[in-house]
Amino acid sequence: MSQATQGRPAPAGVVTPASRVRSQVAIAGKPAPGTVEDVPRLLNRLQVLGVATCVVFGVVAALLQLLAWQASGRAADNTEQLVRVQQIQSSLFRADALATNAFLVGGLENAEQRAEYDAALDQALRQIADAADAQPADRKVLADLNTEVAAYATAITQARDNNRQGFPIGSLYLQQAGVQLRADAVPILQGLSDANTERATDEMGGQNTLPLFLVGLAAVAVLWWVNRELAKRFRRRVNVGVAVAALAITVVTLVAVVVSAGTSSKHDGLRDGSLTLAIDESAARTAANDAKAEESLRLIARGSGATAEPKWQEKAAVVDDNASRETRLLWQDYVALHDGVVASDDEGDWNEAVRLATTTDSGGTSAALTAFDQASQEVVSDAAESTADSLRSGGVVAWMLMIVALLAGLGAAATVAWGVGQRRKEYA
Amino acid sequence: MSRRARPLAALAVVAALALGACGGYDETVPKPPKPVAGGPVASATPPATCPDPTADPTRSYEPTGALPAPEDLPPGSTMAAIRKRGRLIAGVSADTYLLASNNPFTGQIEGFDIDMVERVAKAIFGDPKAYELKVITAGDRLKVLQEGTVDIVVRNMTINCARWQSIAFSAEYYRSGQKILVRQDLADKGVDSVAELKGVSVCAPTGTSSLDNIREQAPDAVIKEAANHTGCLALFQQGTVAAITGDDTVLAGLAEQDPYAVVPPQETFTDEPYGIGVNKENDDLVRFVNGVLERMRADGSWQESYARWLQPALNVPATQPKPVYGRTP
Repeated sequence: MSQATQGRPAPAGVVTPASRVRSQVAIAGKPAPGTVEDVPRLLNRLQVLGVATCVVFGVVAALLQLLAWQASGRAADNTEQLVRVQQIQSSLFRADALATNAFLVGGLENAEQRAEYDAALDQALRQIADAADAQPADRKVLADLNTEVAAYATAITQARDNNRQGFPIGSLYLQQAGVQLRADAVPILQGLSDANTERATDEMGGQNTLPLFLVGLAAVAVLWWVNRELAKRFRRRVNVGVAVAALAITVVTLVAVVVSAGTSSKHDGLRDGSLTLAIDESAARTAANDAKAEESLRLIARGSGATAEPKWQEKAAVVDDNASRETRLLWQDYVALHDGVVASDDEGDWNEAVRLATTTDSGGTSAALTAFDQASQEVVSDAAESTADSLRSGGVVAWMLMIVALLAGLGAAATVAWGVGQRRKEYA
Repeated sequence: MSRRARPLAALAVVAALALGACGGYDETVPKPPKPVAGGPVASATPPATCPDPTADPTRSYEPTGALPAPEDLPPGSTMAAIRKRGRLIAGVSADTYLLASNNPFTGQIEGFDIDMVERVAKAIFGDPKAYELKVITAGDRLKVLQEGTVDIVVRNMTINCARWQSIAFSAEYYRSGQKILVRQDLADKGVDSVAELKGVSVCAPTGTSSLDNIREQAPDAVIKEAANHTGCLALFQQGTVAAITGDDTVLAGLAEQDPYAVVPPQETFTDEPYGIGVNKENDDLVRFVNGVLERMRADGSWQESYARWLQPALNVPATQPKPVYGRTP
């Protein structure tokens, strides 16, 4: 930058474009006699405006990036909460499938299955506590859900106690527990799922690309106007200080916009990729356990195949639509064995149907469903972790950009002050 | 604060406000569940007119001679068709303790009614276990027979004139009667008969004659319905009702499951002759079943079943009701 091209007054007698427009303005910027313009004051005002614009740009651009970074973090939190809700539902349906299946073998239930039921219920209750801790807005409905789960667990205990004494009312309590779980707990879980999906997708869209661009554009426009006002009064088309500030702001804006657009695009990829995978696989896991419960209920309500099987098929269709490639084959293994249960039951061999449905050895539907359930849990867990990790990544870049934007704004303010200061010196 | 510092302070305040505004969400509100459509409950007794209301409803079709051996069933008969299928299909209850309920230790449905099914299966196949049970509700008893889903219904079903319009019945195989079961404390206060039920909440299963009877006999009672008697017992245990009405056989089974439920000594206020239900078209099967019941009387197997299942709970001896025949298809 050379003062030779900027601060030096124009030679006498040279008519600048500015002097053509405003003939009263004297050469070298001195006011013509009779005009009222107070140039030093104008320069002060232009300087304040230019400096303020640059500072505001720096602060707002940094702020917008901070907000975008925070939105990514909240998107990760909401994604984790969404997956947590889905896992609560899956755990509850897993517990229900195990409790219902246990009824087919009366009081002599399999110890491992019983332990798995306890673990599934325990997991659901812990996840409810974790979810309440993670999202205050969900706390009230999670408290309601907690009440429903407690009522379900009580009903199952009551059912089991009666069943162990050989009382038929045990099976009624079991059915009531299942019906209540689906009627009262599922709408709550659906509400939680909907709310957290909306929050996660809203936050993923909060990258502020357009606001960043508009802020940069507005700052550059103001600096252009300042430069124009200066050029009108001095025979210099470009004020170097203002021009450098505008250039710095343009570069920072472009870099920030490109990074922001890249992050948005990455979020879109997550939304359609690992997040969708986690949600779909969770839905598949829930439906698979629901189907297993229907299979058991069909056998408990002996001879009810004609009315029970369509319900099983309804759940199976949900699994078919949502299961991932990793779990689909395991689900097909279960389906083939379930067909064996149906065939035995339809042929009147209820005992064989029950054997196939309750044995935990390979060749029974319980073992096949457990294999699917475990694989499904892993898929959900991996996909959710990958989504959250990806959303939380990029923090260093975001902070660097924030600092650069802030420093660029302050630096630009300094160059504007210096550039206008040169004109002031020139005028003086 | 200096003049120069003021704009920066203002910006800081704006930034703090902007940041503070983020992260708070509206409280999650789940959508209200869709209301479950609930229509009016059908009465136990279909709105049919009896051609002769004075005629004895327990009158059934007379067996045609001695029971044939399983391999000599009349060709083209309903029994031959069942034998060809390989199993007898019976509609039963799975939660009526002592009559037909699931034994959690064996996983098998057992009871007095199931003994009837086994005897019919033995007569057709020579194998008392050659049957398939379909668990049905009381409200489904007529429907499953009319639709041909089952061959017979043995589910503590009262023979009456109105039901004869839809299905056919065997001869009476047990004479029951309606009573009330009450909470121990109510029994102690003297609520021990249907006449004492004013203001008391009483449960009866939907679609049963017990429900119709209690409405008639105790108009001042608060009647509540459940899908079956076990559902009534659940309401009883939850404190929603203080009494249950039904056949003495059923109430005995309920009382066995709850130490606070008692069936006070009382007269039955209805006669409930139980019959085995058969599709109206299959009068040959009705005659055959009546032959099976005659055989049970002769070989003492009815008495054996009664002694095993009902006598310990009812504490009264009983004999197989005498059949009444003479009905023509």
